[in-house]
Amino acid sequence: MPVYVDINRCIGCRSCEVACKNAHSGRSYVEVKVIDHRASVPVMCHHCEEANCTLACFSGALTKDGARTAFDIHKCTGCGLCAMACPFGVVWTDKTAHKCDLCGGAEIPACVATCPAQALSKDQEVAAKRARARAAVAAVLGGRR
Amino acid sequence: MISLDSTKCIGCCSCSNVCPSKNITREDVGARRIIRYKACQEFCDICVESCPGKALTLAAQGEDVEIAFDMVRCEVCGAPYATEKMLDRIRTSIPADLQVDSTGKSWVGICPMCRRDLERERAARPIIASRGR
Amino acid sequence: MPKSLVPTICPYCAAGCGFYIAVEKGRATGIEYMPEHPANEGALCPKGNAALEIIYHQDRLRYPMKRKGEGFVRISWDEALGMVARGIGKAIKEAGPDSVGFLSSSKCTNEENYLMEKLARCLKSRNIDSCARLCHAPSVVGLNRTLGAAGMTNPIPDLANSKCVLVIGSNFAENHPIISRWVHKAKDLGAIVIVADPRLTPTAWFADMLLQLWPGTDVALVNGMIKVIIDEGLIDKEFISLWTKGFESLVDAVKDYTPEKVEEITGVPASDMVMAARAYARSPASAIVYSMGITQHTTGTDNVQALANLALITGQIGKEGSGVLPLRGHNNVQGACDMGALAEFYPGYRKADDPETAKFFSEAWGVDGLPVGRGLTATEMIDSADAGDLKALYIMGEDPANSDPRCLHAAEALFNLDFLVVQDIFMTATAQMADLVLPAAAWAEKDGTFTGTERRVQWAGQAIEPPEEARSDLAIICDVARAMGLRFDYPDAESVLSEINRLVPQYKGITRDRLGLGGITWPCPSTDHPGTPILHSQGFKLPGNRASIVPVQYRPPSESVSPEYPFVLTTGRVVLHHNAGSMTRRSPSLMERSPELFIEINPRDADRLGISEGEVVCVASARGETTAIARLTDKLKEGVVFMPFHFPGTNILTTDARDAEAKIPEYKVAACRVSRRD
Repeated sequence: MPVYVDINRCIGCRSCEVACKNAHSGRSYVEVKVIDHRASVPVMCHHCEEANCTLACFSGALTKDGARTAFDIHKCTGCGLCAMACPFGVVWTDKTAHKCDLCGGAEIPACVATCPAQALSKDQEVAAKRARARAAVAAVLGGRR
Repeated sequence: MISLDSTKCIGCCSCSNVCPSKNITREDVGARRIIRYKACQEFCDICVESCPGKALTLAAQGEDVEIAFDMVRCEVCGAPYATEKMLDRIRTSIPADLQVDSTGKSWVGICPMCRRDLERERAARPIIASRGR
Repeated sequence: MPKSLVPTICPYCAAGCGFYIAVEKGRATGIEYMPEHPANEGALCPKGNAALEIIYHQDRLRYPMKRKGEGFVRISWDEALGMVARGIGKAIKEAGPDSVGFLSSSKCTNEENYLMEKLARCLKSRNIDSCARLCHAPSVVGLNRTLGAAGMTNPIPDLANSKCVLVIGSNFAENHPIISRWVHKAKDLGAIVIVADPRLTPTAWFADMLLQLWPGTDVALVNGMIKVIIDEGLIDKEFISLWTKGFESLVDAVKDYTPEKVEEITGVPASDMVMAARAYARSPASAIVYSMGITQHTTGTDNVQALANLALITGQIGKEGSGVLPLRGHNNVQGACDMGALAEFYPGYRKADDPETAKFFSEAWGVDGLPVGRGLTATEMIDSADAGDLKALYIMGEDPANSDPRCLHAAEALFNLDFLVVQDIFMTATAQMADLVLPAAAWAEKDGTFTGTERRVQWAGQAIEPPEEARSDLAIICDVARAMGLRFDYPDAESVLSEINRLVPQYKGITRDRLGLGGITWPCPSTDHPGTPILHSQGFKLPGNRASIVPVQYRPPSESVSPEYPFVLTTGRVVLHHNAGSMTRRSPSLMERSPELFIEINPRDADRLGISEGEVVCVASARGETTAIARLTDKLKEGVVFMPFHFPGTNILTTDARDAEAKIPEYKVAACRVSRRD
């Protein structure tokens, strides 16, 4: 349900940040950072099955809507409890809460569409599938390198 | 006029965010948060409704009031990020098993920025190892 | 609200990504992705996503201005055109047409580049050039000589068919992000990726083999690989005998480049170099991806030729998944070269020093006495202005005061001119020095074709009107031509394209009506020809249909370190900015993520100098000094530092030592010292 990251593919270009920002009137809900100069990781809302933010939210602004963690800005007071409750730090607060909304249910979220390296996907298995495919090819080539 | 029950106030950002007349201000200086309530003439109850701790009620008369908190510092980076009472509320409102990471370590005492960085490091560890030195 | 989507091509790098500009009530309101585009499949890098941020920027030039004291005053177009005619006319009258220079823009359309070089030559000046001089001039010279054509030999998506990708002197993950997509696909299908770079960039994350060579030692590395391939019998004998000449001289030329000798020069362990050579030669389809790390050296042409040699002796050219792939910089630098905005070529790469060329265009243009002979290159125009020989310069869409090496000197040289006219969308540092500034339309505000690095010619439609009195460069050049007594009757870009179709053989079949999604790849010799994605599959356009193997020898860079300047400074780019930054430094989304000039330094070097992360430091070279924020990283070996050139300051330090043939400056190697500010 959330956008999944194939870290092996991320090149750290931060295009997802800019695309997300353009799709959400100037605020980005994904954050990219380079770790140890050797890998780059975008982080954003996981749309957890058991979502802490929805448990901490006292106003009913954050709720589960099927697999998606939904956010109703009209009910939000900006208290900041959700940001404290999120284990991954991917709910931001500033006047109100802000987090990935899967581009309002669009078929392809902006970040997924824009990623030059195809690092983002709605398919949870994409990283594993690619790794398996690479392993299969390596096996066929018999380690001839 | 606002009446504040300081035993119930958790020092969050709600009332200072929602007051339409900016009578409530919140100031974070270093590790100290001060929330100030100016005597207000309005009788809207937006701040009352928006308080998670139900610490605010309307009163006919009153004076300027303020409440201060020492913010908790992040275990990793040391930056102040939340009041103790906010974190206590987190600890009581979500199940214990959802307050710890896969190694059993609690992340509640870690600020959101460091939580993101920890998640990144955890997720990227195998990739970084394969990209070698 | 009715919204129209205008297909366009990104104005930044030469990958040529397509997207749509959403237009509502005459205003560009957003970007929509173009999943159908063959090269980018809808994806965009952060610059593409931020592309509209410069359109309505408050700094946009809106009307012509002339210098008054330290500042400028607004004037009418009539007065401006009169000034251009007088300024250029006076120089021609008093010192001859070669006292005038024309600097065309790699960001403008093919039609505009064509008209600019036509203007120069119709005024009898030989001095027309573009910023290709600063980036891929060695590719133009070296690949024309070895392979008979200067362009990426295979298209970007074809990289997915490669089984071995040798990336040398290219940081495509940051500078051509879309290439990442196709290299990843290749890796998923079993390709090996070899990355050779002094700096461990995000491109190095793709590497199965990493060759972290010392800056400026590429010929040694490549010659070493060639020797391994020859000694181990991994050459493609049939290909060599059918399609090349000069192989025997190459065998002799590389005989001393043993793995140990190569390790001594480059710092790359002998066994790593040998493994890389074997992998490249053995794979059924190997591609070489290269860019500034190869070209921006005093040995740039040699570096390019060495790579061509490597591809030729292994037959890794002319088929799917193979090739020699120069990644060009600006969105239309390939087109600017194709259109002859180069000192040594007329349109279509006809040599400027061939009298037949002048004759051909004289007839075609109806103008007698077109100049014969190679003109001043962009870098030489600076020398000439400094010496007082070049009197007038017409600059379109270029910012030499920021992008030239040793830029303080370049700026002084420009000040020395009698007449400088700058045509641009922003008041760049170069425009600040002009006598006359002309406001131009941005890419989304005019029609025309752009040729990306794949040789893919694409049409970009006008989405909105330019602001106030700004005009398309095409219209301005025509007006200038008319003011100087020439007949330039081109009502629109299409009319220029028709003339290009007639006179540039590679573009003959690339007519307006055939330019749909994905464009057409040159050469396209007729209107029923589909274009030529893969070059050299039928031989080489050189005598005997054979490629030329041109042996080269290693020569060290022009500047060595010294006790006074103990660090090797290498310069380059970052993903969030583009070149001299006149556009990206005005884009809020990009500036908030990459706000300032920095210097990357190895932590052990920083430690010795007492420098900590984030500190402001002084960086000095023999040409000047600047300050930058220190970033400690082990991406670089000790003794090497890196600075991006998107921010003013870096080019104060770089050297204007040049490749003897291509005249490109050695941006990649200079000597500098780094110290704490206090």
